[in-house]
Amino acid sequence: MNVVKFERVTVAYQHTVALADVSFSLESGEFLGVVGPNGSGKTTLLKTVLGFVKPVSGKVFILGGNGGSLRRVRSRIGYVPQRKPIDPNFPVSALEVVLMGSYPSIGVLRQPIKKERERALATLKAVGLEKWALHIAGHLSGGQQQRLLLARALMQNPELLLLDEPTAGVDVASRKRMVELIYQEHKERGLTTIYVTHDINEILPWVDRLMLLNKTIRALGSVSEVVSPKILEEFYGAAVVFAEHQGKRLVFTEDRHD
Amino acid sequence: MIEIFGYPFVTNAFLGALLVGTVCSVIGVLVILRGLAFVGAGIAHAAFGGVALGFLLGIDPLFSAILFCIGTALLIQLTKKKATLREDTAIGIFFAFTMALGVLFIGLMRRYDARLYGYLFGNILGITRGNIILMLALAFVVLLVFILFYKEFKFIAFDEELAEASGLAVGLLGAIQMALIALTVVVSIKTVGIILVEALLVIPAATAYQLTNRYGVMFFLSWAVAVIACIVGLFLSYILAVPSGATIVIVSAGLFALAAIFSPKRKRCRVCGREP
Repeated sequence: MNVVKFERVTVAYQHTVALADVSFSLESGEFLGVVGPNGSGKTTLLKTVLGFVKPVSGKVFILGGNGGSLRRVRSRIGYVPQRKPIDPNFPVSALEVVLMGSYPSIGVLRQPIKKERERALATLKAVGLEKWALHIAGHLSGGQQQRLLLARALMQNPELLLLDEPTAGVDVASRKRMVELIYQEHKERGLTTIYVTHDINEILPWVDRLMLLNKTIRALGSVSEVVSPKILEEFYGAAVVFAEHQGKRLVFTEDRHD
Repeated sequence: MIEIFGYPFVTNAFLGALLVGTVCSVIGVLVILRGLAFVGAGIAHAAFGGVALGFLLGIDPLFSAILFCIGTALLIQLTKKKATLREDTAIGIFFAFTMALGVLFIGLMRRYDARLYGYLFGNILGITRGNIILMLALAFVVLLVFILFYKEFKFIAFDEELAEASGLAVGLLGAIQMALIALTVVVSIKTVGIILVEALLVIPAATAYQLTNRYGVMFFLSWAVAVIACIVGLFLSYILAVPSGATIVIVSAGLFALAAIFSPKRKRCRVCGREP
């Protein structure tokens, strides 16, 4: 079954095109990495999946539908947004934030009960934050906050997981652990995952397919199909150097800053 | 002191103050956490147009104020969404428009009605049994709806985009929240007046915000601050023979100042070593 299907989708903000003629589909259980520079339409792609922005042309099918009840579809999608620090004075604990993931399913009137609390604690444990359950969410470090938001998304029991640069602003060591954690949860829960990043090396070892996006899809295929000097040099507009480290392939461009 | 409760108007005043303190403090927490303080001010000023219309048409000004406040609250929400305006801009438009309507309605009355002054600055001693019944009914509706959507309001206050992405009806819940603020404003008009109602909506919750990091505790502290401010303010206004609405607000501001000075949040976080 296609979990996500875009048919010639174009999205524009007033007169600025953010995505142009984008077509792709994603099978259940796939892990898709989306790589592109700033302003390439990566976040817009996720927001189109969520129904936050409407295409000016083309069709979007999510979880077997193309519209239906948008709210019902969204409740089946786990979303980790681009990092914005949690207000350190906002009065919620880490556990409360994770519990928010259960709100759409338990409905109005009911409050989370023991069952949901136990599941929330187990989810916090899965992301290594069980010790911080009762800490104020905004007092956690940047990396911990990202793991917390991942836990909240997982608490929703999603079928589709959308991650928007989940490691932005996180130190290098935590970044690697975060991606490993996401991959592990993706496998264990049988999720379909779209992982958006500007750093191709971060996701190369983990993804089933890779999309190079810059308003339009520049390349889409397995890692071995996409990670070729010709395709990458065309995409980055610069010479590309490949390196091997601990059996993993790394990509560098000549004018790389980080 | 206790003998003053022998007068029905004093009993009504205290009942009114307690009702207003309770409703304002609870809804005030949502106002503070979502950064809607200016919305409260905008809706309060819309009440002026509603009250003036009530006087012009010869109907209960509180009823016309309900319609005006809820209408304005929903129009602010709608304008923000449909006209892609920032919320403060939408409020600024309706703030001025409804005030202008109020001035126009007063002009059309061709006479001055002294009771209008009571709605502007509050006349807690003028609260009647009928007012109390209406306030009780409104307060009941506000608190019931608040309890129904307690957790959803928390999620939206925490992160609106995330709440919407999770499948919550954020647009509808936002409109309900605006309607609750509008009803709270109407409940409070008789006690503190249109001009000062914003203070009760913001100060008790802001005081509680200084004192706790727990969501549930914040509601309790906000309620306690509002009730203390209302009772102490009312007693002081009786003793000093000064306007009650203003006294209640000044006592609230004093409590806020104390909370801000002694706030545990001002101390450096020892665990994480970060400034709060």
